[in-house]
Amino acid sequence: MVPVVEMQGVTKVYRSGSGARTVEVRALAGVDLTIQKGEFVALMGPSGSGKSTLMHIIGLLDTPTEGEYRLGGNSVRGLSEAQLARIRNRRIGFVFQAFFLLPRLTALQNVALPLVYRGLPPALRLERARRTLEAVGLGDRLDHLPAELSGGQKQRVAIARALVQEPDLLLADEPTGNLDSRSSEEILALFESLHQQGKTILMVTHEPDVAARAQRIVRLRDGRVVEGGRP
Amino acid sequence: MNPLENLRMAFESLWANKLRSFLALLGIVIGVFSVTAMVSLGQMATAGITQDLEAIAGRSIFVQPNFNEGHDFSTAPIREEDLRSLEGLPAVVIPQLFGNLQYEARPGERRSIQLQGTPGDLPRLDPTFKIARGRYFTEAEARGGLAVAVLSDRAAKDLFPGREAVGQVVRLFYPGGGRLELTVVGVLAPPAGIFGGLGAAATVYAPIPLVWNTSPTARRGEYAFLVLSLKKEADAAQVKRQVERIFEARHGKGRYQITSTESFQDTLRSITRILQVLLGGIAGLSLLVGGIGIMNIMLVSVTERTREIGLRKALGATSSQIRQQFLIEAVVLTLLGGVLGVALAAGLLLLVTLAVPFFVYILSPITVLLALAVSALVGLFFGVWPAARAAALNPIEALRYE
Repeated sequence: MVPVVEMQGVTKVYRSGSGARTVEVRALAGVDLTIQKGEFVALMGPSGSGKSTLMHIIGLLDTPTEGEYRLGGNSVRGLSEAQLARIRNRRIGFVFQAFFLLPRLTALQNVALPLVYRGLPPALRLERARRTLEAVGLGDRLDHLPAELSGGQKQRVAIARALVQEPDLLLADEPTGNLDSRSSEEILALFESLHQQGKTILMVTHEPDVAARAQRIVRLRDGRVVEGGRP
Repeated sequence: MNPLENLRMAFESLWANKLRSFLALLGIVIGVFSVTAMVSLGQMATAGITQDLEAIAGRSIFVQPNFNEGHDFSTAPIREEDLRSLEGLPAVVIPQLFGNLQYEARPGERRSIQLQGTPGDLPRLDPTFKIARGRYFTEAEARGGLAVAVLSDRAAKDLFPGREAVGQVVRLFYPGGGRLELTVVGVLAPPAGIFGGLGAAATVYAPIPLVWNTSPTARRGEYAFLVLSLKKEADAAQVKRQVERIFEARHGKGRYQITSTESFQDTLRSITRILQVLLGGIAGLSLLVGGIGIMNIMLVSVTERTREIGLRKALGATSSQIRQQFLIEAVVLTLLGGVLGVALAAGLLLLVTLAVPFFVYILSPITVLLALAVSALVGLFFGVWPAARAAALNPIEALRYE
């Protein structure tokens, strides 16, 4: 079976300054990572370990300096900005710590937003957004603005926004970081149920008890995977 | 993602910041308003000038001897044969005489007044002449050289202040001392329009043969100047060329000066056109200032919506889609300003027309279209940089932005 994420020797070097004063920061120093379809993986590591960089590369918001990254079996090397955007739109569903809902759009419109960039007609978009919101248990909050929702509800809207894309990979960056424990539990339960439905999930977290809910824990230290790189 | 979608999104985001959008818009409104108003006012003035000039001078061509240094005007008189050579042109030829006379305003105080010899029934020949009271002397009276006169409005007021002039006798003196006594049979209507002043001289109109008989300088059979009152279908420029050719053939080059009221109108029109361009240009500057305001607001908007841009990119928006979004927003903003500006200008023009009858209401569709096109272009031009900045945002940085 083709893995959803397959990385070999991925490095990321940030350069700043020029000439003799060039400063190199090696954020990733050769990452090997494989995530199979249907897995629920937690990515852990101290700050500065390269978690964010790795997540950005997996989410196609950034590109590796060296090494090979295949998403669903296809190498992403040399793709244009527009091609990467298109793949993000179809294959990656982002869930952020701070939700990032557009405050002036209703829950329904927020969820429909990724489909705008897929060129779907409005009626179809809204219909799919409605069904997805219902699936995460927010069928009665369609026309609420983000400000009218609780933290847990906001994150569920954000998850619905990722799900509506029907992505190959759900990429969650500290999804419970801004939530109280009850809401966190709610969200983790939602992730577990999505996992049972066969979704592939990669969750970045620094909380061990959150990570423990995942099927496998990948530990990152100094830009390298030190544990759990393979299923 | 289709343009209609973008348009709706632009309206939504502008509506979300109503006050700011409106303030940003104001510069464009003022700019478009002033350009449209200036250009249209110029057109309205031109139309008013044309109308008024036709009212006082009609469409006519004047023929008079050219002043040549060292020669008297009378060295190039206009004779009967010249009149006959002009037959067949689409114009009524009106020969006239001209003289400077005096009248006694008070005992011992003489003032000068114009004497103009004309054929009878002048209002029929030249529709710019209108009788206010009494009548014009007839063709028979004119041919007989009867001592009758018609006064211009000004002349009636000067000669008979506070009295009815018709029926009175005018006493005039030639520079040499010869006396002329004429019975007033009519008074002309004062010329209308803002150029009325040009035709408001104090003039006494009298039959041509009478002037020949009494003037010490006029010679029988010679005229001072001709007025060719053009018929409706006549092309002024073409008739003018024909008259020039005829007089050149008969008398040689440069001895007669031939002018048409249309060339005078053209001069005035070119003046108003220059004014129009000048004022329009100055007004255009305010449009520039408005455009810079739009750019400023768009830059603020891009900064403010950094996270939104980052999110949209993460969700799959390409840079060009982001650029398009902000460009359309800028264009929608300036276009709205343009519509408001044109509407305001239309209102002002209407008020001006109601207040000053001289102006004719003109807001040509071309002006409106141009104003809207220019406002859209201003949005495009001043939106490019902010939109490019939005498009160039790195989504990672943008999402991290607080």
